[in-house]
Order: sequence, then structure tokens, then C-alpha cells
Amino acid sequence: MFKFFSSSSIYSLIHKLINFINSIFFLILIIGLTFALVLSPPDYIQGDSVRIMYVHVPAAWLGLACFAFITLLSIFNFIFKIKNFYFINKSLAPIGLLFTCLAIITGSLWGQPTWGTWWAWDARLTSMFVLMLFYAFYILTFKLLDKEERIVKVSSAIAIIGSINLPIIKYSVEWWTTLHQPASIKIAGSSSVHPAMLLPLLVMLLVFLLYGALIFLMKYKTEIIRIKKKNIKRI
Amino acid sequence: MITEFITMNGYGLYVWLSFSIVLLACAIFYLKTKKTLRKYEKDFLVELQNLSVEEKNKALKTSKVAQQILAANSKMN
Repeated sequence: MFKFFSSSSIYSLIHKLINFINSIFFLILIIGLTFALVLSPPDYIQGDSVRIMYVHVPAAWLGLACFAFITLLSIFNFIFKIKNFYFINKSLAPIGLLFTCLAIITGSLWGQPTWGTWWAWDARLTSMFVLMLFYAFYILTFKLLDKEERIVKVSSAIAIIGSINLPIIKYSVEWWTTLHQPASIKIAGSSSVHPAMLLPLLVMLLVFLLYGALIFLMKYKTEIIRIKKKNIKRI
Repeated sequence: MITEFITMNGYGLYVWLSFSIVLLACAIFYLKTKKTLRKYEKDFLVELQNLSVEEKNKALKTSKVAQQILAANSKMN
């Protein structure tokens, strides 16, 4: 069991997973793009601008999910001092930042034709902007601080404080009057999105998930090599 | 038909720009990550080459990661 969690076993597994994702990624990407840009119908109010949803929503979901996961691992790392969680978080944060930035940019491009403005300081948009800042601060701790122990403390504190923002993002559309529409897809309860649009959305979510996993694995692999290089004489 | 697909009833600019930005940003980020990984693999191999023969053999015998990096690098070359 413990042998499975050794860095060499993880490294070997990562190598296989990267090859597997590389082999299926482009096929799923092409299917996703065909659904999103060609096969899915235009919305009866928003017209073809609704197609932006297929990149905006998965990016926003994964931006939030990454931060939630980082917070969870930060808490565990803070309590149990598991070094692997530190490396997982370090590898995951840039992906979360990328997805959050993409959600904000594509949201702005969707906002112009639907709301008539690129940006408004309303609750949902502002809370997403705050999430982006938390990601930036989180990543900066790895770049600016030297001692690993200090990095763990500071980054964990940023993640835990930043996690307060997550329910604010989720419920901002219900708590305040915002330009942003309320959630159309709910984990518990019925979805108001037609299956003809839901299927492309789920395929694009899979594309984003695979891409995120690929980047995460490559970054995690880099971390393993960095540590091995550091301790090469002790191998 | 094709013009309709490109213009998307007046929303083409927003839709195509959104998808292009996402694809471009993801591609750049992927290439940057891959380049960093390759750089670390190469640096690791340089460190490995700098070891004495005894240390190098020991490292290759005991570390599967070292073996895999070496194998992957020789495959690429």
C-alpha cells in the first residue's frame, strides 16, 4: 500500500496518465467544439451568443473547484503536515488561476452583447475578481517566500481566508440583485438547461477537466523531478 | 451557410473571440508547462552526469524516477 504512494510509483503512474490523456484529448476536444459551435441550437433570447457558455461555465466551475480543493488540502496539510499536499496545491493553483481568468474574460465577452456592458462591479463579477486576486496572492507566496515551512503557513492562511469568498460567489446571484443570471444547473434539483445545450456543456466540461488534469500532472511531475534533483546525492 | 456560421447572426465576433482566447491561452500555458518539465528533466540528467560513476550507478539502481527520466530522454534522442 505504502509502496504505491512512493514517488517512483506516482511518477510512473503520472507518466501513464499523461500519455492516456494525450491520446484521447484531441478527439474529445473536436467533439466538444463541434457540439458547441455547430450542433447546439442558439438560445431563443440570447441567440448565438449563448455559445460562449460552453467555455465560460466550465472555466468558472473549475476555477471554483480548484480553489475549494486547494483550501481542503491546505487545512489537511496544516493539521497533518503531509508534504505531498503542498506539492499538489502548488501544481493546482496556476490551473485555477488560468480558469478563473478565462471565466472573467469570456464572461466579459458574453456580457457585452447580452447586458450591453463589458464589466459591472456587481456581486458575482466582483466576487470572481476577488477569487482571481486570492489565486494571484496564493501563487505569489511560492515565488516570493524562501522557507517551505513559511510558504505552507502563509499559503494555507490565504487559501482558508479566500475560501470565505466561495459561498459568496455561489450565492451572490441569490443574495443580491445582479446582472448575472441565477444558476441554471443545480446539483440537487432540476436543471433549466435544455438537453440539446446540456450535452455540449458536459462534453466541454470534460475537455476542460482533461486539460486541467494534464497540466496538473505535468506540473506535479516537474515538482517530483525538482525534489529528486535537489536530493540527487542522497538517492 | 458558411457566412452565417462565421457571423453567427451578429454575435460572431464575441463567440469566436471567446473560443480563440481560451484555445490560445490554454495552448500557450500547455507549451510553457511542457517546456519547464523538459528543462527540469534535462537539468536532472546533467546533475546525474556530474556524479561519479559509483554515485551514478547507485542512483540509477535505487531510483526508478532517475531510470525513467533517463529512458524517456534516450527515447526522445
